[in-house]
Amino acid sequence: MKKVLVLALALLLALGTFSAATAEGNLVYLITMDKMDMHWVSVDAGASAMAKALGLDYKWDAPNAKDNATQIEVMNNAIAEKPAVILLAATDPQGIAKTVEDAQSQGIIVLYVDSPAAAPVPVTLSTDNYAAGKLAGTTMIDELDKAGKTSGKIAIISVNTATNSTMNREKGFRDALTADGRFEILTTEYKEGLAAESQEAATNFITGNADLVGLFGANEGSTVGVGNAIKAENPAIIGIGFDKSDAILGLLKDGSLKAAMAQNPFTMGFLGVSEAYAAINKLSTGPSVIDTGVSVLRG
Amino acid sequence: MIQNENAPRPAARTRGAASGIGNAFHRMMQIRGMGQVVSVTAALVLMSLVFALINDKFMTAQNITSLLRQVAPILIIGMGQSYVLITGGIDLSIGSLVGMSAMMSATLMTHGVHALIALPLTILACLLVGLLNGTLIAQAKLPPFIATLGTMIMARGVAQIVNGNMNTDQITAGGAEAIRDLFYYGKFLGVYTPVWLALVLFLVFNYILSSTRTGRHIYALGSNYEAARFSGVSVKWAMTKAYMISSFMSCMVGFILMAQSGMGTMDAGTSYELNAVAASVIGGVSTMGGQGLLFGTVVGACIWGVLQNGLQFAGAPLALKNIVVGIVVIVSVLIDRIARSDALDLKKLFGRRAKA
Repeated sequence: MKKVLVLALALLLALGTFSAATAEGNLVYLITMDKMDMHWVSVDAGASAMAKALGLDYKWDAPNAKDNATQIEVMNNAIAEKPAVILLAATDPQGIAKTVEDAQSQGIIVLYVDSPAAAPVPVTLSTDNYAAGKLAGTTMIDELDKAGKTSGKIAIISVNTATNSTMNREKGFRDALTADGRFEILTTEYKEGLAAESQEAATNFITGNADLVGLFGANEGSTVGVGNAIKAENPAIIGIGFDKSDAILGLLKDGSLKAAMAQNPFTMGFLGVSEAYAAINKLSTGPSVIDTGVSVLRG
Repeated sequence: MIQNENAPRPAARTRGAASGIGNAFHRMMQIRGMGQVVSVTAALVLMSLVFALINDKFMTAQNITSLLRQVAPILIIGMGQSYVLITGGIDLSIGSLVGMSAMMSATLMTHGVHALIALPLTILACLLVGLLNGTLIAQAKLPPFIATLGTMIMARGVAQIVNGNMNTDQITAGGAEAIRDLFYYGKFLGVYTPVWLALVLFLVFNYILSSTRTGRHIYALGSNYEAARFSGVSVKWAMTKAYMISSFMSCMVGFILMAQSGMGTMDAGTSYELNAVAASVIGGVSTMGGQGLLFGTVVGACIWGVLQNGLQFAGAPLALKNIVVGIVVIVSVLIDRIARSDALDLKKLFGRRAKA
């Protein structure tokens, strides 16, 4: 009886390793910065739609919060499952570069969506965050001119100092406003993209500065907080934001926000998976950087 | 008859108003935990003065009302965490329950369920999680850290799944506007509604903790679990009650956040359990259990809120803010340790009049 059991176990193990070895066939693995920001939910929606259309196996995973070390571990787990392609949105470009090289050395194709890392890959699909931030800045200046404001203070609510994409947006925004020179920018508040905390920080800016004329939110949660604060405290303040969601569309409609820089996360995921398909089948993947662009949404 | 010349003279309390206040102060200081409360209150006043000097907009009526509204949620979850800390445990699930409460109530209210049904249903769900925490810890004897870590992860998962891994739309069902006013935007006598909510909850739960049998049992089991058990205290039920109170408080703060944004966000309440611990610990609640005054948590929550608000008004860069907040937490625990040790001999400082 015991011998039969041992034999059965050995057979199962053999089958297991055999099937694991062939699992890499057509698995596309998406790794984002977290799973709760609506931006990543949209990337996943696009990616899984295209995966379904092309008949590819698809998986989505991310850390619980935007953290580089945790993302590296998530990627290590993904590598262990031997996917054909990993689509990565890197929280920190330097930190995860070695893990990307590690994956590539094991024959896994890595492509970047939204936020590239420092290791070279065939294709990067992303928004140029610095340019988008600059566009937000010039849009803010336009709106301020329209409202007749020629001086005053502007405040920024951003995510954290470790997320490259939002730091680039902030830099672009600051550069655009410094070039204009008429407005003073206050010290940025970093509230992890949480809507409630961002709203409190925005309210504090409004309470603390009688000459506050503009507020900028660097991602979806920050923008929702900014819009709600403007609505509740002082609708005359110009609010410019980032990303698109039902909440932001509502705030644009009632005028609490004047404009939002909408990225195209669905497109990033959608195109990303089609690029993955091309890469798996050794077809041409086109240009190495595809700017999926921003559009300026207005009310 | 021999006059006992060595009999103690009548105590100083009959000697006039100043001594009367002195003795009242002395009696107050005898309450366990009051020393820390007094020192952090002094710190709060000092801190507020410093921030007011740095930016004159800090002390305006507009900011004070806004600041109180920011303190209210920290105070509410702080009180829940204090109850649990006094039993010698910890509740890590607070933040996730806040998120679960916000998402659950908002999801129901964006699907046509009237607020009068949505809110009680959510309260029930949160109380069930509190009951689960209490049962795991009191009955199954799981360490509080582990049990609440598990429910923390589960509750966050529920928050994500309840609306299909999407943030909710704006709440529109019956009573939505009223709820937004009731829990965040409304003002009564010039003070925002969350502050009134926090006040009512403080009065109720402070009374329970200080003047009812449940409160006495909670202190007892935190001080010495076995002794309390042998004295006939129903320790398991008292401990479970503490965790259910904590989850009720988390539920209320979830409503506040939901009212604030007018929607549910899946990441609502992230890290709130640590803010709740900070507020309690600054206020003198001991992490060893058995000691702490809820009024201390009030002061602790105020300090936390004043720090966040004041540092922003001071234009402090992020790194400096984090360092300052960390120092405040450590110093407040140190104050308690030093005061209780003999290093300063405070008894001598305050007790010189009463002893004869």
